[in-house]
Amino acid sequence: MAARRRVAITGLGLVTPVGNDVASTWKAVLAGKSGGAPISLFDASGFPVRIASEVKGFDALAAIGDRKLLKLANRSHSFALAAAEQALADAGIRPTPATRDRWGCAVGTGMMGVDFAELTAVHQNSAVTGELDPTRLLEDASANNPLVFCRSQSTTGVALLTRRYDIRGYATSVHTACASGGQAIGTGLKLIRRGAVDRVLAGGFDSMISPVGIAGFCLLSALSPDNDTPQRASRPFDITRNGFLLGEGAGFLVLEEWEAARRRGAHIYAELAGDGNSLSSYRITDSPPDGDGPIQSMRQALSDAGATTKDVDYINAHGTSTFMNDKSESAAIRVVFAEHTKEVSVSSTKSSMGHLIAGAGAVEVAVCALAIHHGELPVNANLREADPECDLNLVRGESVRRLVRVAISNSFGFGGSNSCVALRRPQDVDGSGFAS
Amino acid sequence: MSKPRIVITGTGAVCAAGKDPQRILESVRAGDSAIGPIRQWETSGWPTRVAGEIADLNPREMVEDRKLHKLIRRTDLFGLFAAARAIDASGLTASRESLAAEAAADYSDRTGVYVGSGGGNYDSQYDYFPLMTEAKDTLPAFGRELSNTVNPMWLLRTLPNNVLGHIGIRHGFKGSNACITNHSIGGTLAVIEAAEALRNGEADRALAVGHDAPIEPQMVLYYGDVGLLATDKIRPFDRRRDGSLFGEGAAALALETEASAMARGAPIVGEVLGGGSASDAQGLLAIRHDGDALARAIALALEDARLRPEDVGMIAAHGNGTQQSDASEAAAIRRIFGANGKAPPTTAFKWAFGHLIAAAGILEAVLALRSLEERVVPGVATLESLDPACEGVRVSAQPQQPRSNVVLVLCRGFAGTNAALLLRSTRSAS
Repeated sequence: MAARRRVAITGLGLVTPVGNDVASTWKAVLAGKSGGAPISLFDASGFPVRIASEVKGFDALAAIGDRKLLKLANRSHSFALAAAEQALADAGIRPTPATRDRWGCAVGTGMMGVDFAELTAVHQNSAVTGELDPTRLLEDASANNPLVFCRSQSTTGVALLTRRYDIRGYATSVHTACASGGQAIGTGLKLIRRGAVDRVLAGGFDSMISPVGIAGFCLLSALSPDNDTPQRASRPFDITRNGFLLGEGAGFLVLEEWEAARRRGAHIYAELAGDGNSLSSYRITDSPPDGDGPIQSMRQALSDAGATTKDVDYINAHGTSTFMNDKSESAAIRVVFAEHTKEVSVSSTKSSMGHLIAGAGAVEVAVCALAIHHGELPVNANLREADPECDLNLVRGESVRRLVRVAISNSFGFGGSNSCVALRRPQDVDGSGFAS
Repeated sequence: MSKPRIVITGTGAVCAAGKDPQRILESVRAGDSAIGPIRQWETSGWPTRVAGEIADLNPREMVEDRKLHKLIRRTDLFGLFAAARAIDASGLTASRESLAAEAAADYSDRTGVYVGSGGGNYDSQYDYFPLMTEAKDTLPAFGRELSNTVNPMWLLRTLPNNVLGHIGIRHGFKGSNACITNHSIGGTLAVIEAAEALRNGEADRALAVGHDAPIEPQMVLYYGDVGLLATDKIRPFDRRRDGSLFGEGAAALALETEASAMARGAPIVGEVLGGGSASDAQGLLAIRHDGDALARAIALALEDARLRPEDVGMIAAHGNGTQQSDASEAAAIRRIFGANGKAPPTTAFKWAFGHLIAAAGILEAVLALRSLEERVVPGVATLESLDPACEGVRVSAQPQQPRSNVVLVLCRGFAGTNAALLLRSTRSAS
């Protein structure tokens, strides 16, 4: 049997609360700059949580340029389109009539639904008593507006991306809550490996900073209530952590079959080397305190990558800044890495960006690719006193320079899905990061 | 090293036509349609008043755990029910019970779950309507009154991946997994991805599930407004076809490597031979008239299964009854199988219970497998006159004979996505 196909990461695109492109986001996560601020997207003054990590100064039309397409996009889709455009431009390759059948698209997508303005319109017209009157819905403008329909489907993102870039191979949308982005990248890896396609536009996007989105997390007491100190609200692994900071944005990667990428002289950030995923099967919201579930996903990703714990220099943790996640994740890392635990640098870039939900995993895989490329590790911001239960080699105070041979990115979702993606330094695959 | 064979060791299904594959196929073979008046809301004055609703729904009968009902929605109920039926039929959890603790833990870690989910319903957001009324549509009051009015579990009840998470918790499966929210091809992709995970050694056993419950007012309006819904019947490939109609429900397949099935003496009912998927790249709703992406998906599936078109004994077509989808599906079938009656006998199931969206393809796969077991290609009862634009599709109102024990299941969804799946029955008497 022929050797397994390798997969190269050749393009990155980011729209995050700390930067609307890769360079500015990277600079911010190295410096530990926080995207946290009072919510500006709606009047949150009555909500228990009034802070979030919003994408700032984003001009969708300037970023995407296609007014007609944007009519079919909500806020999160416009982030996706912008990040995908960056990634393809960075990779220097796009589908052509000759190659489009061999391009795939794998996207981690947020929860489906209409924007709050549309929901309000339906409420005012068809549910004024608090309960839907279906007869009134017949004449409801929002409920009969095909554009609202097109913006609200779970496959809207994949529809817009495949149409814009003429991607005609395997195209899919996945959702495992906060693990969605990681699972989408893992899907892309498998599609190329098994020869279903040769290149994949893979990523994740989300925006839940809306009255209903914030409400959903408030009801679960999942968010940090530190309304007066939004930039300190996300502090993964700190003993005083008290919930996550909701973010928004998108991350996209161009994945290519390794040899094809080399042949065209592409710049390779990293090898997308392994994927592991498991199901905690414990509770819908938490991993168990002993780390069962994440332990298996990390082990699988390393084994899939042909790496050992000794090869790993950096873990981009899921690190949400909730009490249970950080405790469980730390326990899992200690079990997997055992006596090497203290040799592996760990940081959660949610300390800067907040939690991008379905976009988080994809953005954080991109961060790992950048860590390998630059030989530098983002800081775990806002860490003053590490929780003794989170006894890890955390990147504190400022970023550190370190050669990264293997990096892993953890993502764990509500529902119990755990994703771990492993990346390898390209020089360790075939001797050079850049084509000669 | 050759890839292992992937066998099917159990199935489960629920839709308007019944609560198990055998009963549903009986209903199809009898020419009965389970599509009838929508009962979930008053539809007088509505352009579409029929669908394949599951009548006399008794949630407690479908999923016993009383506490769970507060945490799930209608669509999840169907998914959990079909999953449990497939697990029971295959003995997946029963086999674990005889193992020692360590072996049982490994068994759980090596059992995966792949779900195709509808991704969400509009009515989930309606849970906020009482609060919006109370707050008089002002946001500060909405925020202040939030926790007094809305179920604290709202977000968890709404998760698109609830079936995945709760199958894990209920049945103790902890292996590789995915929740695919890719509209109508989600369930089919769940089968394809589960089989790939087994082929590649990521797991030894995997449950593939698809579930959906699209029959809700806002969804019916939208689909009607964009011209996708029929007035009374789904007439696949017929001259008079005028659209599709919603159904609801779920289906599940227990898959495992042949070695796993043999080791535990599991009942083998079929085999997953291969799959393929491709996209039209035309946007959310548009599809190409030439059926190009569907034809490519079929070609990829045949290549994956190492089969020739003439090896296919039967086609379970997507046949959703819309003008464009059926005509372009016919074009794809002609491109792969030839125009002059060379295609295998074909059926399409949606006329009998509606379009289950995310669960459509996987339910039709389960029924196709059952059809091969019964050595029949069921007739399409609503077919009166084959549309000349659908020439080459060997569909009939009368039952036909499959020409081998291999079925090709076709599935198409929004975003121009297409999937093709090849299954073999190991129970069809030849």
